[in-house]
Amino acid sequence: MQLDFKARELTIKLVYYGPALSGKTTNLQSIHQLVAGDVAGRLMTLETKDDRTLFFDLLPLTLTSEKGLSVRLKLFTVPGQVIHNATRRLVLQGADGVAFIADSQRSETKSNASSFVNLRQNLSENGIDPAAMPLVIQFNKRDLDDIRTDEEIDALAARGKEPVFKAVALRGVGVLETLLGLMDVTWRHLEASHQLEEKFGVRADPLLAELRHHLGVGREAAR
Amino acid sequence: MSQAADLTHADVDRLEDIVDKSALVEVCRSFFDLFSIPIRVFSRDGALLADAHETRAICTYVNTLPEGKLACSALVGEVKARDPEGTVEHPCFTGAIYRVVPIRYQGRRLGRFVIGPYFPAELRRVPGSLLVIDDAIDGEKARLALGEMPRVRAETAERLADHLTRILDLIIFSGHRSFLTSEMHVASVRESFRALAEKNAALQDAYDKLKELDRLKSNFLATVSHELRTPLTSIIGYSDMLATGIAGELNEEQAEFVETIRSKGDHLLALIGSLLDLNKLEQGRVSLSLVHIDVPALIDEVKKTLTPVASKKAVRIETRVEGPLPKIEADPVRLRQVLFNLTENAVKFSPREGVVTLGARGVEMAGGDDGDAMGLVLLAAPRSGIELTVADQGPGIPADEHAKIFDAFYQVDGSSTREHGGTGLGLSIVKRLVEAHGGEVWVESELGRGTAFRFTIPEVEP
Repeated sequence: MQLDFKARELTIKLVYYGPALSGKTTNLQSIHQLVAGDVAGRLMTLETKDDRTLFFDLLPLTLTSEKGLSVRLKLFTVPGQVIHNATRRLVLQGADGVAFIADSQRSETKSNASSFVNLRQNLSENGIDPAAMPLVIQFNKRDLDDIRTDEEIDALAARGKEPVFKAVALRGVGVLETLLGLMDVTWRHLEASHQLEEKFGVRADPLLAELRHHLGVGREAAR
Repeated sequence: MSQAADLTHADVDRLEDIVDKSALVEVCRSFFDLFSIPIRVFSRDGALLADAHETRAICTYVNTLPEGKLACSALVGEVKARDPEGTVEHPCFTGAIYRVVPIRYQGRRLGRFVIGPYFPAELRRVPGSLLVIDDAIDGEKARLALGEMPRVRAETAERLADHLTRILDLIIFSGHRSFLTSEMHVASVRESFRALAEKNAALQDAYDKLKELDRLKSNFLATVSHELRTPLTSIIGYSDMLATGIAGELNEEQAEFVETIRSKGDHLLALIGSLLDLNKLEQGRVSLSLVHIDVPALIDEVKKTLTPVASKKAVRIETRVEGPLPKIEADPVRLRQVLFNLTENAVKFSPREGVVTLGARGVEMAGGDDGDAMGLVLLAAPRSGIELTVADQGPGIPADEHAKIFDAFYQVDGSSTREHGGTGLGLSIVKRLVEAHGGEVWVESELGRGTAFRFTIPEVEP
């Protein structure tokens, strides 16, 4: 988080993490399409090769809080391919919240797990306690065959502590819910550590309501 | 991280750090060429980044008047100082307009552009504010000069500003993207390098520890061997004395027991000697005293020494020296040790009535230390030398064991019930001794068809 008092500007960094080809960039593309015009900036894609992210994708969203504070959300994706670990670690620096995009296909279970282990390692290497990082998990590609079933995911989600969402990012399903869920846990975490309401008069609910308004959705998590 | 733009948040602080200035200038130039409306782009702190304008007739005229000149520069100062949140129209006393438009990017105001002066199309008359600016003003001249000013409708001006806003956004966006790409590239390389350097340090650390461990092992071996040898000498000495009957006559059974003690003691002493030897060789502490070697004589001597042992198994030792041999220099004791070790082994593994062949011949040795070296064919001087061979008709050694048999303590038959005894040190000592002489040792063997050990000793440089 970055707070510029003079400019009355708050910047929050949200990172979309996950294995290669799980749909991180697709999430950002969907958000970009769904969000009202002047809130979302241009979606920036850095150096793609065969449609694969080499460095990161960046989608900036700008909101204004009730007290006139400009809240800038910066949505990043990391490159999923194993060899780009150094880049992943760089992109992860300064993240305020992480959305882990998992591939629902049964065959991808293992690569989801190893990417998650990699996330935890990189957080630790960046000097951040993985347990303290606001996190949501999205099971993407719910429209494919041979995926892990809803019951299976629900049962696991009930045991875990982080919110779990289901999505078909290509069709925009569940994408905004994931973003709102991530914003929710991230804001609560920032509020607890920085007392944003007390110090800056920024309250979570109106801000999230504004975000929902711009995203054009009611708060319906797909849990 | 650079101050210009923060890589963590991919933020832009200063317009001038990321935009391609020449692209900016070119866009402004072409805008001016198309619409004849002056344009200037300023950064957030007021630096002029691009400027396309021509001085208007009215401006030239006003500036010829002393009061007019003062008023004009005051106005230009005001326009430059404006940094509005949203678009503003700043009026000039001539009736013309400056349109000041903020440049926003990713929710931040990075600068502004100013288009104008242009004359609002809606305005028909010379404004009063111009006519009172200086006592010396000529109304007719002013009217004519104003007529040359481009006239723009408010709605058109707004559309032009929108158009420019979009183009500038694209220029900033692509500038930002290439800036981030190159920064990320450098940062990624740096991060990979850091990770690798860390790994290298860890490996080096592990390597240093292993080396230290190896040194400790060698020291330990040397100490233990030495400490073992002292009491062993007493054991052998006293059993010798017992055997000679100094302490009284022994009966047949006692004599046999004492003899067993003595021979096992000898064996142990030999083993300890080998260990010390190997240790010295490993540490490169063996000094060779090189003298000219008469190879046929050496072979004969080894044959003579081992014939009694061989004849117990009815094994025959044959020698074969081919042609004239090149002149070599070696440590006679060590070379004899090599040949003796190999021949003793050959006899040990020979079947009853087998034949062990000791051979020597002149050969061209493979030159150079590094077989992969570039230009080897040019660089390696041909070297000749003597190849010595010890061949037996024993059980042979499986091909996958050929590389391992020269390792210390390695036994092809590693079982506790193996047929042939031995320390497993002989061949590793052989290898180290041969290499200390600048030669090479290798084995040729096939299961069931016997084994031939060959080693080379290079010719002395003339």
